[in-house]
Amino acid sequence: MTTLRGSFDGNGDRRRCLVVVFLRGAADGLELVPPTGEDGYYRARPLLGVRPEDALALDQRFGLNPGLGALHPFYLDGDLAVVHAAGSEDSSRSHFEAQDLMEHGGLAAGGWLGRFLRYRQDPAPGALSAVALGKTLPECLRGAPAAAVMQSLDDFTLGPESDTLLPRLARLYAREEGELGRSAHDTLEALQRIEALRAEPYRPTGGAEYPQDELGRSLRELARLIKARVGLEAATLDLGGWDSHLAQEALLEPLMTRLARGLAAFYQDLGSDMEATSVVVMTEFGRRVRENASLGTDHGRGSVMFVLGGGTRGGRVTGAWPGLDESVLEGPGDLPVLNNYRDVLAPVLRRHGAGDDLSRIFPDFEIDPLEV
Amino acid sequence: MRSRRGRAKEGPSRREILTGGLLLASTLGCKQLDEALLAPLRMPEPATGPFAAPEGAAIDPVRHVLNRLTFGPRPEDYARVRALGHESATAVRAFVDEQLHPERIDDTPGERAVRRLETLRQPAGELFEYQPRLLLDELTRGTLLRAVYSRRQLYEVMVGFWSDHFNVDSSKGDCKWLKAAEDRDVIRRHAMGRFPDLLRASALSPAMLWYLDGRRNRKRAADEVPNENYARELLELHTLGVHGGYTQRDVMEVARCLTGWTVRSEERFGKGRVEFRRHWHDDGPKVVLGRRIPAGGGEQDLDRVLDIVALHPSTASHLATKLCRRFISDEPATATVAEVAETFSGSRGDVRATLRAVFESEAFAASAGSRFKRPFRFLVSALRATGARTDGGRKLRDYLLGMGHAPFQYPTPDGYPDEPSPWHGTLLWRWSLASALAGGRIAGTRIDLDRLRRDLGGGHGFRSHLLGRQPAPEEDAADGTPEVELALLLASPAFQRF
Repeated sequence: MTTLRGSFDGNGDRRRCLVVVFLRGAADGLELVPPTGEDGYYRARPLLGVRPEDALALDQRFGLNPGLGALHPFYLDGDLAVVHAAGSEDSSRSHFEAQDLMEHGGLAAGGWLGRFLRYRQDPAPGALSAVALGKTLPECLRGAPAAAVMQSLDDFTLGPESDTLLPRLARLYAREEGELGRSAHDTLEALQRIEALRAEPYRPTGGAEYPQDELGRSLRELARLIKARVGLEAATLDLGGWDSHLAQEALLEPLMTRLARGLAAFYQDLGSDMEATSVVVMTEFGRRVRENASLGTDHGRGSVMFVLGGGTRGGRVTGAWPGLDESVLEGPGDLPVLNNYRDVLAPVLRRHGAGDDLSRIFPDFEIDPLEV
Repeated sequence: MRSRRGRAKEGPSRREILTGGLLLASTLGCKQLDEALLAPLRMPEPATGPFAAPEGAAIDPVRHVLNRLTFGPRPEDYARVRALGHESATAVRAFVDEQLHPERIDDTPGERAVRRLETLRQPAGELFEYQPRLLLDELTRGTLLRAVYSRRQLYEVMVGFWSDHFNVDSSKGDCKWLKAAEDRDVIRRHAMGRFPDLLRASALSPAMLWYLDGRRNRKRAADEVPNENYARELLELHTLGVHGGYTQRDVMEVARCLTGWTVRSEERFGKGRVEFRRHWHDDGPKVVLGRRIPAGGGEQDLDRVLDIVALHPSTASHLATKLCRRFISDEPATATVAEVAETFSGSRGDVRATLRAVFESEAFAASAGSRFKRPFRFLVSALRATGARTDGGRKLRDYLLGMGHAPFQYPTPDGYPDEPSPWHGTLLWRWSLASALAGGRIAGTRIDLDRLRRDLGGGHGFRSHLLGRQPAPEEDAADGTPEVELALLLASPAFQRF
């Protein structure tokens, strides 16, 4: 296969892709990654607490909710890192404010992922350098040099007349010199690749079986696009519905299963491409330590983050952990945020070519990177 | 404060229209349903002509002035402008005159197109009641629809120019709400007026005070250091230019002069209002660009600073360079820039006079077809060239996002770049848009291809209209369907330039 150049340059074996999965609605870190070694956890959650024998052990202190069981093997293989007591400095406990601040990376213009794409070393923005799987562009991608909202690979075609158009476009641009001519050449090659992929039904590799839900379908299209090598550097996906004020277990169980099975299929499907693909899972804040009277939990502070693949130093629960003693809880009884989300993102962004100086991506914040 | 109920009486409610549309649709069948639902936006009827296409082998002066003063000619524009004068040169002059006076142009189509976008008319204080996403949606749609439908085309082009020059990213802090008011009260109000008025309006605009941190520029204690962000961009980007002869010392002195101006952000009442807090102001003496500003000036310091910079020779030259780049070529000749700068200074910053100097320069006349369209212009020019009826909706905004050129979403204060190279990588989206528009696959946007070809006198006239000149042999292939032909013309290298 010919090597792509110019605006679609170097995806091949060099370009890396950063995938951000945002759990909207404030996912309960204490349900996803229960601190099974803390007595305080079971005191605060007599009905909702995940029992140690039900959880999949991560270390002496923490277990993984069985609903996320599909991710456990990656943790054991050292390719999945977990950060607890993670979140932002925003204490509004408002979904809108907290998501907004977290996605912008502080009080700044544009989103953190958009700024990363704009300011990273050696930027060569291609038409498909960033995609948002879904219907709208998330705030974190604002200000990206180019960002496409897509639902499937079919969004990137010239339509039913593509076969007629492509050779004629090649003729029209044949005499163009300079950058425009090169860009035309690259675009034609990328379109041919996408058309070739579309022509045959997609068969995931590695025995991957994507769940038949929206996240599963999006991850499947994303894997396809990464394999198409069209220069993709960042992708965002949303999984909503985590606002578990009542009947938490019934609400979260299917969400966790969707998340874990989807990511597991993605991981298996990408195979060795996972070495150059990082997945970050984050949420705007966590939930009150003490369960409420409706078998749910209310808005809190610290939650969890996951980092998967792309050279993650995984197989452990990283970052400071305060315990759940009443004296350490914040405000109305919330797990404090000891690990700022920027400090989790920092090492990942550096592996993706952000360079040492992250001050333009995260202004007004002193980075103290975690080992993930 | 006008009541919501009062506004609703201006016309039938959306609900009434939708219901009417559905009744209508049930008698018309499915295809018309879309049209009926789009009707609330009152898209202008297609023009009735007369029509003509350019006949020269190269872009002629009438087409050139249409290319540059508008977002691209509509099917009826060439014939209309050509008829403005006996000679082609007089027609061009008459068109420039017309466009330099937007207030004399009846703009029913442009006003109708945005009439339903109610947030565009909300006073700044009321904007906080809306979801930011809705505000950005309506502002983007309004910008797009005006660019497509307004007859005050040069005015809209200048609104775009100043929106880049005084860039405010609507995603930062309260700009999410305040940018909508700024677009109307600062940029649109002064776009064809006097630069010093525009500059002052921008300096005191709540959105700008948020965007460049002016609201936090204060000196309440001896050891508090002013925030220089706005002061620096005021000199570097808005007035003198990066090589305009100021020093770091000047930036710091300007910042001191502007201490105390802020915008209410926490208060329940008056949120978004600009005010001067005397006790935040550094009232000592200052020196800006060698000019002394005595102590005790208080809020007057702002006007003293703006008086020094607004009509400074470096400002004249910086703005002349940017205008020449926008309207003439990427690397305008020094002599042309100097002429335009002189007019700017001589007219005390009159935007119309300065623009006239640009359009009357020899360099302008000699530059036909040499500029590369930025994505917004590409998209709008395609809609105008095809006489499309559009609601300016989500699908078009997605194309702009894909090409990295959605209005009000550029993060850094220098505004979207004017030079072509950052935009060369957007061909995938341009071709995709060309194909989708020609094939009728853009929701909320329709073209009548048969009518368009008929109006322009058949395939050859149609091709000349889109290219602005006679087609070259490789552009004259009439062997595809009309949809394929249109897609190729819109995707062709010639249509990427103007």
